[in-house]
Amino acid sequence: MKRLNLPKEKTFIGPALIWKRIAAFFIDMAIVNLIVFFPFRKLFQNIVPKDYTFSEAYKFLSSSTNYTSFITSVSFVMSIILLLYFLMMERKMGQTIGKMLTKIYVLSNNNTLKTWQLLVRNLVFIPIFPFVLLWILDPLFMFFTKSNQRLSEILSKTTVVEVYSLGQYP
Amino acid sequence: MNKIPVNGNKGFFQEPRMPPNFRWGYAIFVIVLLSALGFVAVGVLSLFVGIDVESLRGNVALIPIEGIIVGTEDSEFLFESVTSSPDAVELIRKAENNPSIKAIILEINSPGGSAVASEEIANAVKKTNKTTVALIREVGASGAYWIASAADYVVANRASITGSIGVIASYLEFPGLLEKYNITYQRLVSGKYKDIGSPFKEMTQEEKAIFQQNLDAIRDYFAGEVANNRNLNKKDVDRIANGLFYLGAQAKELGLIDELGGFDETIAYIEKKEKITAEIAEYKKEKTLLDVLSKVLSKQSFFVGKGIGSSLFDRKIQSSITITT
Repeated sequence: MKRLNLPKEKTFIGPALIWKRIAAFFIDMAIVNLIVFFPFRKLFQNIVPKDYTFSEAYKFLSSSTNYTSFITSVSFVMSIILLLYFLMMERKMGQTIGKMLTKIYVLSNNNTLKTWQLLVRNLVFIPIFPFVLLWILDPLFMFFTKSNQRLSEILSKTTVVEVYSLGQYP
Repeated sequence: MNKIPVNGNKGFFQEPRMPPNFRWGYAIFVIVLLSALGFVAVGVLSLFVGIDVESLRGNVALIPIEGIIVGTEDSEFLFESVTSSPDAVELIRKAENNPSIKAIILEINSPGGSAVASEEIANAVKKTNKTTVALIREVGASGAYWIASAADYVVANRASITGSIGVIASYLEFPGLLEKYNITYQRLVSGKYKDIGSPFKEMTQEEKAIFQQNLDAIRDYFAGEVANNRNLNKKDVDRIANGLFYLGAQAKELGLIDELGGFDETIAYIEKKEKITAEIAEYKKEKTLLDVLSKVLSKQSFFVGKGIGSSLFDRKIQSSITITT
């Protein structure tokens, strides 16, 4: 007898749990920092001697306009690379590595994800005013909205979701 | 493809089209691509912003004082070796603010230059709390010697040229030439001495006296600074502050330098004083690609502009005298 190709379990899609989102974020940041930002880390290690305290490093880097302009340029390039990571991953798969591991997805509220939506939802990574305001506002919104959406997610009409299981079909 | 309603009927969830293995492959591709981009970005940034990262290691800063000492970064010397006082002062401060740096070597090879610029550098040397050693190689004369004298210790080669404590402000005067070509200098000034030093007219005795008085004052100040820096008797310095240069050996006898020698002697002094094994970090004002390009372009524009405009209105001709040490 031929069987119908029915889904094996009942599922529904809902907003991703906050702890999963935070975990995914930290996994992504760890991967980007450890691997993608390796050349930048090496660069900073070469510029600032290892035995410096934070205040010593700050004093050292502020000692020259050459350094400050360099640090500004490097920070900007780093943020662009970080933005590219999220754009490339989410555009193609709706997931970053962190989201893959925590099994959560980015979803457009209307249709398929558009590039502008991804850009808007990741504006938080650009270290320029007024986007820096999102560093505080964005996570706050996540805790007080129904769908656990960040402010930039509301603006970009996207939601981070996960698949919830309701058990097997009889 | 499964489409599952989300949050009521607002949107659709599309399951990733890629198989899991391909998704991980794509993730690795993105990471590798962005890492490569990071390496390229670091290289390009270093090239354009101009920080020689390797030069920042070590515990002894080596700062070159080369060529003519000038007061502005945008000097007239495009491919000639010059030391601008803002650059030199910045490098000294950078070394001062770096806790790893225990001593600063000023590698001097300069005939001097602007009195103001020389004093600015000398003051920065005096202000630093680090051990400072001046190493005079071929020439450390006039303003360059002023800077050297500000260091804690001065080492010079036996055959090097030092001293030349004096001030010069000579200039070309060509009213005779103008007269030959029937060109008249129309003196229109408000203020008796406004065109003092103009090459188009002969300097009066009174004007010469004023100039000489000022030059003597600067020379006196220069000699006083040297005496103070080197802990010498001012009257003794006055006797040798006649513009004459001295070879290293003579300078040692006069007390203008502390030791005859070169780089090895300089390092030995620092290692003994600071009880360290010296590792040199070259502090140089790196010329970035942008710096060179912008300088070439600005020079080009300048000469084009100069061709279009009248050279008679060139302000440089109106005050052609500069005081150099």
